[in-house]
Amino acid sequence: MFRINPNKISLTYFLLLYLTVDVFAGKIHGKVEDQEGNPVPFAIIQEEGGTGTVADIQGQFVLGDFEYPVQLKVKALGYLPVSIRVSDKAEFIHIILQEDISQLDEVVVTGNFEAQSARQSVYQVRIIDKELIQKRAAGNMQEVLNTELGIRFSQDNALGSSNLEMLGMAGQNVKVLIDGVPMVGRQGVSNEININQIDINQIEKIEIIEGPMSVMYGADALAGVINIITKKPGGTKGYGLSARIQEETVGNEYSPVSGAGNHIRNLQGQYRTGGGWSFGGAFTQNRFGGWKGRFTGRQFEWLPRHQDLANASLGFHKGILELDYALDLLDERIFSFGPENRIEHIDTEFHTTRWMHRLNARVDASDRFKAAVQTSFTDYSRETVTWITNQRTSEKSLSNAPNAQASLQYQGFTLRATGLWSISETFNLQPGLDINTESGVGDRISSNEGIQDYAVFLSGELSLSDKVKIRPGLRRTYNSAYEAPPVIPSLNMKWKLSESLDLRVAYAQGFRAPSIRELYFDFFDASHSIRGNPDLQAETSHSFNGSLNFSRKKKSEVIYSAVLTGFYNQVSNQISYGIDPVDPRITTLFNLEEFRTAGGMLNHQVRYRDFSAGLGLSRIGRYNRLSADDFNLPEMLFTTEINANLDYKVPYIDTYLSFFYKYTGRLPGFEMGANEQGEAIPRQIELEGFHWADLSLRRDIGNHLQVQLGVRNLFDLTSIQSTANTGSAHGGGPQRPMGYGRSYFAGITYQLSK
Amino acid sequence: MKKNNTFRQGAMALIVAGLIASCTENDAPTVEVPPVEDAFMEIQGGGASFPNSVFVNLSSEIQNSVRRDTWDLAFYTGSEFKVLINGTTGAMAYGTEVEDFQDLEIEYVEKLKAEGTLVLDFNNMNSILYVDDPKNPVANGTALGTVLSSESEAKVFIYERGNSGAEEKPWKKIKVFRSGDLYIVQHADIDSEDYTTVEITKDTDFNFVYFSFESGKVEVEPKKHEWDFVWTAGTSSTPFPQAVNGTLGYFFQDLVYHNIYGGVQAAVVMESEISYDEFSDANVNGLTFNSDDRLIIGSSWRSGGGPNSGPAIREDRYYVVRDKNENVYKLRFLSLTSGGERGRPSLEYSLVK
Repeated sequence: MFRINPNKISLTYFLLLYLTVDVFAGKIHGKVEDQEGNPVPFAIIQEEGGTGTVADIQGQFVLGDFEYPVQLKVKALGYLPVSIRVSDKAEFIHIILQEDISQLDEVVVTGNFEAQSARQSVYQVRIIDKELIQKRAAGNMQEVLNTELGIRFSQDNALGSSNLEMLGMAGQNVKVLIDGVPMVGRQGVSNEININQIDINQIEKIEIIEGPMSVMYGADALAGVINIITKKPGGTKGYGLSARIQEETVGNEYSPVSGAGNHIRNLQGQYRTGGGWSFGGAFTQNRFGGWKGRFTGRQFEWLPRHQDLANASLGFHKGILELDYALDLLDERIFSFGPENRIEHIDTEFHTTRWMHRLNARVDASDRFKAAVQTSFTDYSRETVTWITNQRTSEKSLSNAPNAQASLQYQGFTLRATGLWSISETFNLQPGLDINTESGVGDRISSNEGIQDYAVFLSGELSLSDKVKIRPGLRRTYNSAYEAPPVIPSLNMKWKLSESLDLRVAYAQGFRAPSIRELYFDFFDASHSIRGNPDLQAETSHSFNGSLNFSRKKKSEVIYSAVLTGFYNQVSNQISYGIDPVDPRITTLFNLEEFRTAGGMLNHQVRYRDFSAGLGLSRIGRYNRLSADDFNLPEMLFTTEINANLDYKVPYIDTYLSFFYKYTGRLPGFEMGANEQGEAIPRQIELEGFHWADLSLRRDIGNHLQVQLGVRNLFDLTSIQSTANTGSAHGGGPQRPMGYGRSYFAGITYQLSK
Repeated sequence: MKKNNTFRQGAMALIVAGLIASCTENDAPTVEVPPVEDAFMEIQGGGASFPNSVFVNLSSEIQNSVRRDTWDLAFYTGSEFKVLINGTTGAMAYGTEVEDFQDLEIEYVEKLKAEGTLVLDFNNMNSILYVDDPKNPVANGTALGTVLSSESEAKVFIYERGNSGAEEKPWKKIKVFRSGDLYIVQHADIDSEDYTTVEITKDTDFNFVYFSFESGKVEVEPKKHEWDFVWTAGTSSTPFPQAVNGTLGYFFQDLVYHNIYGGVQAAVVMESEISYDEFSDANVNGLTFNSDDRLIIGSSWRSGGGPNSGPAIREDRYYVVRDKNENVYKLRFLSLTSGGERGRPSLEYSLVK
């Protein structure tokens, strides 16, 4: 196995960094000011392709040793960059910078009809933008989200997929949207989406809303919503092209280009004509060679995975009309190689294909009324194919064993019509209609007529004063397969306490629909007796959220912001597995349990010159079910998480350094055990805590090329220990896989646009 | 397979030669068939639902497949009186306090059913109390316990006929006692007062006499000196601290019992000590053979698999089996599957001495 020597690579890298040469002459004084004439401190003034300087706190600078005429680039945080040509000798120049609204005020779309300033939105939204994704050199969503507070992943290495948990709630309570459209996965629409089946290169940003968004997005948006916003062609005529190649070790396993290691390749482009048409296309290959781990033979602990992701889009924007069509295609093969055997080798392949068509239409009928329709059709299929290779004859054939060949198909259709009706300056109404239908067929799914879900919703935003905004909402749902909760309300409020302090409080009801699998999945073989329950009802929740945002907009040397959030969720009718009372041998599903989560988070972000750093802390509590029967047990079990990030532009070598860290504390729990007399008693268990850290270095070479190097999983984590006896069938056992050891990566991105 | 065929042809040739030889000498035509020297065998376990118990005779290269669900009780033919329940379907028996079938109340039975007492799975921490000892039921204890010689003192047992990899059948209630050298068994449907009485005579050509509630006496295992081991699904046990007695009864689909009651002995040899290929006559004396624990081969020939790996043959070990005629074979398992299908394992063996 080839092992990357990071020392050697960084040497060549630093050689590349010094491939710029300077010319000397001249000297200039200047001052950088904003539009109101206030000095802009610490602006960066740089000679095109040459050296630069930083303005002082008064905005003043001196730049020397260059030749006239000179092109100066001036950048400052929170301002749009400008380029100025100084052709003659000038003793003193004034540079005026314009505030960059988009940078100061991040924009969010989730939960709103259209993009809105994050500061103005009544929802507390966490934003992960493409710059952050780029800094992490991520190959999949998990590598971006794994140091976020309140999110943890569990690996299902039997199937080669991963599941996500958010704020103490399982992934099936998290609705994953692509541009507002729900995704379909192995469990049907929106339930437990394998978040790694999404092309990371296509992501403009990820918006995460904690707390129920069921009024806006319906079922399953109970713990929260992850809305993935994809890249769109720019607003003006022109094109953009980008290509990315990244090579990565998987632990200490690597071979160039293919085989062992992780190989990422992406090509994408957009073009917009002057006539309102736009075209886009993208293709990504992810080749994950797997990780042998404890195995020495043919088997892998982390299964090899090949992903091909393609996207094509077509848009037409003219006047009041916007039309956008996009097609996303996923083709994923996961290979599970059987053990060495003298007679025959048995290898299984999981082949997933997903076609997702999306059509968005928007009409801005007047200043008062805008309407949008989003439709999507998703065709998801997952095939299990088992091959036998006879070791004596080398013949390869399909296995005839029961369940060796299986298939599963889901079709999902969504139609979502929303409107924005501005009744006055201070009051608007957002009505909506939401239709979701899904059907599933598979070898283990008992016959069903699919699920049709029809809903209407209405929300309105009222500004009580220039400081207080409230947004009530209601949703009424009809569902063909289960009894939907009657009317779901929500109430969000934002109160601007001062220029730098915003308070948000929210109450919402949420619900999670039983999935097709929970309703109709029957699985009987030697070691499984599981039956779906078609009489299941939806899980419902009451949720309270609050957040306090502090951010100093003042232009000072230090920019500081902080967010404090708290939440409390009470889930009723939680669907869980239990023993069938009629037949104790069968496991089925019930609306039995009560569940609660509660917790809080504190995030700080600080910027000082070329430094940017963040520090976060969270405490998340999960309800201990056994406390209902035994009052001596704690009711809530808390886990601590700490994360930190650091960005630093290393002077002289023009290289950006990014460091990400997260500590996930131990996860306590209780399970029923038996004492020596065979009596059932509760027993304390826990899942070990762990540290995760990634480091990356980035440098722009010229205007189009970017080189990146880094290390993932600095703590060399592979698995964590669980003291539980019972566990899920596929992730169980005392060792829970978390990573495949310290890995190194190197990547190049080329970007061209006009 | 090729090896196997050649071998068969060889054996046939030997037999024919033997016949000719004996005929020409004009002696009594008793034919002493020489033991098979090398063989590859695919066990006809019946496929993925592993419906069969397969009794293997190494020296004659014969396997006998019998469906696991064709019998309910097995009566030991040795000097002691012991009755086994059908562990190959995961059957369980619960001893009640009543002596008469009519005294067994249906509420009592329903309660037992609802509590899952007679469910053989990982949730039942007491299952080991209601199954036969998996290692050596005759010596270490059976679910039905001591067979009393008095009809009036014998207790009624509730019999769950086993549904592990077998079709579920309604429960029965049974009573077993002895009368002289005979076993007497009385059985009835769980909700019925009409019972049937059957006498069972020991047949010492066999280890056990097998009995089915529907078919009466049935043939299951070959004569006791005509088989060396059986591949079968069956009740096994594993140490588990939370379970009663620290032992959990559970059902395992790939057990290999050597014929301990027929005098067959078995030993485990690790490849690291001496490889299968190098193992010869000279190594036999150094081995400790076992003749009282039928789980010595048991499930040890394969790994159980885990969250991320299927079960696999353990290639680090093989077995040495000494049959009743002092033939010693080395034997190793090659595969759990045939054509990818479980329940059709294969093995190879060769005569050491």
